[in-house]
Amino acid sequence: MSLTKAATTALRTLPRQPAIRSPAAALVNQQRNVSDASTSHSDFKSPFHRGTTPNHQDTTVIPSFGKYKNGTETGNKMFQYFMVGAFGGLSAMGAKNTVQDFLKNMSASADVLAMAKVEVDLASIPEGKNVIIKWRGKPVFIRHRTSDEIKEAEDFDWKQLRDPQPDEDRVQKPEWLIMLGVCTHLGCVPIGEAGDYGGWFCPCHGSHYDISGRVRKGPAPLNLEVPAYDFPEDGALVIG
Amino acid sequence: MAGVLGGIYNSIVKRNAVFLTTIFAGAFATNIIFNIGADSVWDQINKGRQWKDIKQRYMGDQEEEDE
Repeated sequence: MSLTKAATTALRTLPRQPAIRSPAAALVNQQRNVSDASTSHSDFKSPFHRGTTPNHQDTTVIPSFGKYKNGTETGNKMFQYFMVGAFGGLSAMGAKNTVQDFLKNMSASADVLAMAKVEVDLASIPEGKNVIIKWRGKPVFIRHRTSDEIKEAEDFDWKQLRDPQPDEDRVQKPEWLIMLGVCTHLGCVPIGEAGDYGGWFCPCHGSHYDISGRVRKGPAPLNLEVPAYDFPEDGALVIG
Repeated sequence: MAGVLGGIYNSIVKRNAVFLTTIFAGAFATNIIFNIGADSVWDQINKGRQWKDIKQRYMGDQEEEDE
């Protein structure tokens, strides 16, 4: 500390040295220098002097920051990075939980999922018969097709249709045809085993569907829709 | 102490990609650990009162048909 002060004094005095001509002038200079309170409070008793104890130093003295300096550079750096990282980690946890809660909120609950599936016992449906069941508020046609009907549906030249679709794209097992019973025109329920093609006929505007549920005649733009279904075991069907 | 901190600094903090990866991995790990810990505390407090504790009293050796 005192070394710094001495250096500062020397630095301030040095430029003035060439101007000194006589020892007397130097003495005057010295005295003026001594009376400069900003550089050497120890020699000059200022009226505002607060004593020499460390707690009551002159206000012009640069204070010591030694009390506030602690630890090594690595330790301080690691502390700062740790705080930054910990806060970032907490934020990441919060963000993840927020996103997770939103996604959980949007997904269907268990009771809704339970209502969304319908199980059908296929053993009770004889060959060549239609069954209409209700699934998610809509009728679903299940037809147990005979081998003649399967042959007819597969052999038909489907490329010329309004909504071209081969029969194997519409059924998982050829003997079971499962479709939504909603006419693709305006949503009436077609009548089974009717129409010009042995399939379904919509009485509202006269759309004819064949034995694979494909539109053959009338205003309907698309084939009857096929829902997602599965055969978990023989003789059982799950729609949905 | 300084050696350990320096090692951590050089291995984790120096490269930002590693630092970020560590933070996210740590966040997920903390989340999981916290959940497991909270569940175990809950189970400890409610020991003997939960369905999984008294299940065998009612279900016996039956197959677990309904839960």
